[in-house]
Amino acid sequence: MANRLDRWADPPLLVLASLADEPKHGYAIIRDVSETMGVRLTAGTLYAVIARLEAVGLIEPLASADRRRPYQITAAGRAALAEQSARMGQVASLAQARLGERYGWAGT
Amino acid sequence: MPAGPGPLASLALMLYPPAWRERYGDEVRALLEEAGSGPATVASLAVRAVPAWVNPPRHLHDRESRMRASVGTVLVAWSVLTGVGAVFVQLTQLQGFRAPGHPLVQWCYLVFDAALAISVLTAAAGGVPLWLQMIRIARAQRRRRELAWLWMAVLVPAGYLALALIAMTVVHDPEASGSWWFAGFAILGFGAAGLASAGPAVALKRLAPGGPAVAVAAAAAGLAAATVALAGLASAIAAAGLCLWTTSFAGYHHADLAWVYLLIVVAIAATATISAGRGIRATFAIPAR
Repeated sequence: MANRLDRWADPPLLVLASLADEPKHGYAIIRDVSETMGVRLTAGTLYAVIARLEAVGLIEPLASADRRRPYQITAAGRAALAEQSARMGQVASLAQARLGERYGWAGT
Repeated sequence: MPAGPGPLASLALMLYPPAWRERYGDEVRALLEEAGSGPATVASLAVRAVPAWVNPPRHLHDRESRMRASVGTVLVAWSVLTGVGAVFVQLTQLQGFRAPGHPLVQWCYLVFDAALAISVLTAAAGGVPLWLQMIRIARAQRRRRELAWLWMAVLVPAGYLALALIAMTVVHDPEASGSWWFAGFAILGFGAAGLASAGPAVALKRLAPGGPAVAVAAAAAGLAAATVALAGLASAIAAAGLCLWTTSFAGYHHADLAWVYLLIVVAIAATATISAGRGIRATFAIPAR
């Protein structure tokens, strides 16, 4: 699934999307993003994103008995994710429509 | 027992600011134990350490601690730069070296003098109140070791000057002793400047004073660093001009030395400026939630 556009994937959005269904710790986020979105996040990128998202209140840490601290998306994070995914949906629809019109692309 | 994150990954983690490591270090180690730490992971960790320093997340921002760290770093860098500036003055202006037909060198001398004077006054105005506050804290808490560190700011330069005066009295004609005489005293002077500034910097870390004096000192450190960096730039341009436009100056006319001087000035000025910038930002930052 991975392609050359992966390098421009938006890691904060991927992390928010990963946390949208349930809280996850770092390794679980990496696995989820890799398996469901086809993008491989590195530890440096992931924790840079986690630190930024936590700083602006879009995710929050949960108590943990071990070192693998899970994070959950906040109400502000859900709102930001909904807004951004709606915008991406518009872009995706537009791109697919134009590909269909111009090149006869019917989707996969 | 899980394997550790590996020596290179551990080294990369050490590149992060202490507050970042304290908050996320264990989590990242746990992640690396599960996910592995290949070259791409190590490189990613190392690269991401830069923004963690330059633009730290606000929830990790301890304003007073940041200001104290900046004041300490700038103090040491500023002292060394001022020492470099003193060597520059001795090798150029005090010996009357000019580049006829090139007023740029003379302008650089003027900029250097003005910038260094402003820098010294600013450092004194911002640093002395904080130094006095730390003296009061150390005396009230009977912290003898910290008192000793603080007094190094006075005693070490005084000792150096006394030694210089004695040496000048004993050696009647220092120039006859050649450049080694000057080089020896210059190196000793850098050591003295380093010690004199490291003392209060260590005391600052251990006593952890707070309040307006720290904010004033951090703001003054910013201005002092900026002006001493300007003085350093002016001296570097003047030195380059003298190298280009005169056949010799100060008896030490070696292009290699000029490059070494330039590199030292740029490296220390960059350190001071970056640290001062972070201190200034902490000074005027809105406290984190």
